Amino acid sequence: MMLEIEDVSKVYGTGCSDCLELTGNRHGRAICPRCRSVVAVNRVNLQVGANLVLGVVGESGSGKSTLLKLIYRELKTSAGSIYFQADFPDGRKRLNLMELAYRELSIIRNTHMSMIYQDVRRGLNFLFSAGGNIAEKIIAAGERKYDAVREQVLQFSEKIDIPTERVDEYPETFSGGQQQRIQIAKALASSPRLLLLDEPTTGLDVSVQARILDLVKVLHREMGFTMIVVSHDLGVIKHLTDLTVVMKNGSIVEQGLTDQILEDPQHAYTQLLVSSIL
Amino acid sequence: MNKRIFAFIDEDAKKEIRRAILKAVAIPGYTIPFASREMPITRGWGTGGLQITLSTLVEADTLKVIDQGCDGSVNAVTMRNFITSVTDVATTTITGEASIIQTRHRIPETPLTEDQILVFQVPYPEVLTTVEPDTAAQKVMHANHDYGKMWVLLYEDTAQFGDSRISHRYPVEINGVYLMDPSPIPKYDIPRLHNNSALMLFGAGREKRIYAIPPYTSVQPLKFEDREFSRETFPGIRCERCGAAGVFFDQVYLDDGIHYYCSDTDFCDRNVAGER
Repeated sequence: MMLEIEDVSKVYGTGCSDCLELTGNRHGRAICPRCRSVVAVNRVNLQVGANLVLGVVGESGSGKSTLLKLIYRELKTSAGSIYFQADFPDGRKRLNLMELAYRELSIIRNTHMSMIYQDVRRGLNFLFSAGGNIAEKIIAAGERKYDAVREQVLQFSEKIDIPTERVDEYPETFSGGQQQRIQIAKALASSPRLLLLDEPTTGLDVSVQARILDLVKVLHREMGFTMIVVSHDLGVIKHLTDLTVVMKNGSIVEQGLTDQILEDPQHAYTQLLVSSIL
Repeated sequence: MNKRIFAFIDEDAKKEIRRAILKAVAIPGYTIPFASREMPITRGWGTGGLQITLSTLVEADTLKVIDQGCDGSVNAVTMRNFITSVTDVATTTITGEASIIQTRHRIPETPLTEDQILVFQVPYPEVLTTVEPDTAAQKVMHANHDYGKMWVLLYEDTAQFGDSRISHRYPVEINGVYLMDPSPIPKYDIPRLHNNSALMLFGAGREKRIYAIPPYTSVQPLKFEDREFSRETFPGIRCERCGAAGVFFDQVYLDDGIHYYCSDTDFCDRNVAGER
């Protein structure tokens, strides 16, 4: 498996020995009644194969974004390991993301995985031009020839439908949808094996959303990478993903093929979620 | 009481500055924090270089002070007068005779030797400030050789203007490790930092940092593999005083037009005296 999440938990607060037992879906709460710590992710086990697209759904506070941040190692787990399989530059084939030093982590982030944020200001540097942002990832992945960097920047700007003559303009001169497309180009410029998307279309209008989702789909088919999409929008999940997990109170309550989960939800919460589509 | 202290700074302060210098030499290109004592000169006017010079000088030294290559400009003259008033060391304008040269924004045209120390006055010691204002983040970037943002700056200049727009303070990589601000010397002087025989010390008094390039250290300007590092050239221009060509020139605007003279006044004087 490309990504193996083993018994991963994330606890905010002092924590106690009973936190994990007293919270989670079974108890219908994420706050430990003994020590008042918040258990954002509770003993999650998950495996994702190469080139698959996994959706993570759940209400606000269910722990889905925290799980994504743990995979990207923006946060460290309180317990558990996350293994990532690929051909790494140092010859290793499988490594535990939780054990990486900053230097190793930035190499992995520059070559093997990328994150796309809902807020483009987190993914794009607004002090750099659109092309500069894309170039940052290409350079970070090790390219030191200007002509090669420039060529790839222009290629990517074509792929995301940004006119090449506008590529040296700054992000604030672009519309919200264009900014999100530039962020996608930046994330994919290093040809990552794993792409993490945190609410990629939330806050954009419907026609722009559709265009972004189509773009992601096309690029996924062209380039081939594993995707994990976090969204509370079941439309996005249906459009993009093969597999879906449903989270509530920090634990996974249901998982399976996306079509199956949307057509025939088993868990009461999933049924509520599916029946709530407007 | 009232016993005059050699070189103005008290011995404890000198010791602290010398320790910072030793550490700086041991870790080429890394900026070392130091206390930066009160000097009878405003911070930002060369107090870093001055403190290094005063802590390094001994009675036997011969001092030369230049400002933009010139021994006679105001900053150089006041620095030299102050240092001699508190040390009685001999001074010279001849590059080859000096054992310590304090400089603002230039490296002398005459090649330096192993017996010389070049002390730079530095306004902005941190090379990453332009791309990352957070000092804690800068430290992490240096520690991990994470200079991607500097490369993006270079990429953007090349994309929009064909070459880097940086004319002075050009970022350099020291010994293949740290990226460093070489103080506002022109691009013209950057190749002189590489493999230089002299010890080069950098002091930023206002920013409280000391750093160094030891003799014979590799110093490479940040550049793309498929682009040449281009420095200022002065095609067809000769010094109107000594006739030299191919050196760094001062452009002087007078009523009858633009005139060019050597920026390094000692170099010009040696030429006029017929010593070259």
